[in-house]
Amino acid sequence: MKRKSEFVVPLLFLAAAPLVVYSVQRVFLHTPNERTMGTAFKIFFFHVPMGWLCMLMAVISGVAAYVQLRRRSRTASAVALAAAEVGFLGGLGVMLTGPIWGHATWGTPWTGDARQVTTALLWLVIAAYLLLRHFGQHASERLAAALAIFGAVNVPLIYYAVKLWKTTHPTTGVVAKLPPEMWATFWPGLSALLLVSFGLFAIRARQLVLAGELDDAYVRLEDSRA
Amino acid sequence: MLHLAPVRLLRQSLLLLRSELRQELRDLELVLTSTFFTLVVLGMFYLSFAALEKKHTMPAVPGLLWLTVAFVGTITLTRAFDREREADTLRALLAAPVERLAIYVAKAGSTLLVLLVCCALLVPGLASMFPAGQVFWDMPLETVALVVLGCLGYVAIGTLFAAGLAGGGGKNMLLAVILYPVTTPVLMFALVTTRALLDKNPNLPSYLGQMAALDVILLGLGALLFEPVLVGAAPARTAQAARQHARDRLRTTGREEPR
Amino acid sequence: MTPIAPPVLITGLVFEAAPAPADGGEYEPAVGTSREEKEILATLEDKAAAKTASDYQHIVWAYGILWALFAAYGLFLWRRSARLRADVDALRQELGRSGARGGPGA
Repeated sequence: MKRKSEFVVPLLFLAAAPLVVYSVQRVFLHTPNERTMGTAFKIFFFHVPMGWLCMLMAVISGVAAYVQLRRRSRTASAVALAAAEVGFLGGLGVMLTGPIWGHATWGTPWTGDARQVTTALLWLVIAAYLLLRHFGQHASERLAAALAIFGAVNVPLIYYAVKLWKTTHPTTGVVAKLPPEMWATFWPGLSALLLVSFGLFAIRARQLVLAGELDDAYVRLEDSRA
Repeated sequence: MLHLAPVRLLRQSLLLLRSELRQELRDLELVLTSTFFTLVVLGMFYLSFAALEKKHTMPAVPGLLWLTVAFVGTITLTRAFDREREADTLRALLAAPVERLAIYVAKAGSTLLVLLVCCALLVPGLASMFPAGQVFWDMPLETVALVVLGCLGYVAIGTLFAAGLAGGGGKNMLLAVILYPVTTPVLMFALVTTRALLDKNPNLPSYLGQMAALDVILLGLGALLFEPVLVGAAPARTAQAARQHARDRLRTTGREEPR
Repeated sequence: MTPIAPPVLITGLVFEAAPAPADGGEYEPAVGTSREEKEILATLEDKAAAKTASDYQHIVWAYGILWALFAAYGLFLWRRSARLRADVDALRQELGRSGARGGPGA
């Protein structure tokens, strides 16, 4: 039987496909080079959305984990894990492309900029959450939820802490002001990335819910035989 | 839980804390192992960094201080809840007619005391080993405030996760995996404040105030999450908790979480 | 004819290349440009070309990694759902064999 939710994922990917093509051709063919950073600036258009994706998914995971704790909801638990996985993916993307961009423009892959450190620390929390969900036993699921909540709450705290921490270090401006034609390229890229990631996220969440239901079904089968 | 008279909560917390301390005084296991570990780490730091010049110890001392707190904190929390797990006392405690929040407060309090005893060794040790640490002697009140606030924030998070792992029968290796990433914000604030102290920064009180605010947030989160995280480990026994439990069950109509 | 490097060729389109000195006599520089000027331009252009080439390399790496990441996750999801489907099929078979009524609606 087909559920309504099954049509959402193909729709997301269908909407994303032309946007991806459009944004990539716009990035490479129709966007002027940034004055000081040159061609390497084109990394920006997918690097920054990945960072936003990572933060957004961390927040979704934290909220879902809270619902999971309060309501004992299986769906919330699945959503929290799926969001953490996609957030992990986004974080990995940022942390790999960031140093590449940095190497091209600053000449060094890592400057210890507040955003860099914040993302790295957030990514560590997400990784710890995934480790706990995969290797902890059944009972540590609630603990993992607490960890996800802390991860979401930590984002602004860490950012503030790193800003304080940096006060005694040299600061590096990343992007001062973007001209409008850059933003016009940025938004399609962001939406394409978000659509694709939400599609993947929806698939994963549904898989997790299904796996839980399947487990239940097996248990009931055993029960009916006994 | 939250709509309970705070007086009763305080009384129960103090009672539990006293029993924790009585148990600890019987063999001093936690204090002895943790202080010994502190000394070992101090010795290792001394061997590694004694050759540093004074201007280089300035940025190093805050890091050494809070790294040691992180190491010792992990050891202490692991040991404290290992003991609970061996005797299965945490489960008994959760089943007892005691507010869960009181358990959290008592556990956090006892761990904080152990950490502070370790810091009483650690800070003078650092102060005498490294010339930059001289400030710790010069400004004892500020140093004490800094150490207490830093350890309090660490313990507020650490107790929640250690208790959750112990109650859920989780593996202990995971505690370190969880604790280090989650406690980085507290440790970073503490690091910044310590640096301000060493620099004799005039804004030190505002840094300390920020740490206090952070501690309030972390304690609030820990208290809020302690019961939901642990309640799966044991059935509810207090009347209020039982009612809540029944309401929860009604709402979810028999559904359980996936494993 | 000596082979002409691309930057020089580009410069040549803008400024006329200086003619070879005729029988060691009077050397007349082309109007509007000088040798130093042209060399400075050429070095700058070399630098710009090198920067662009290196930038391109970085971009290819960055975008390659991003897309590889998503592809890897997609593959992971695909394998997961294949395994899930196999599980569901196994359950159906079990159900058919035991003929249990009122079982779960898979």
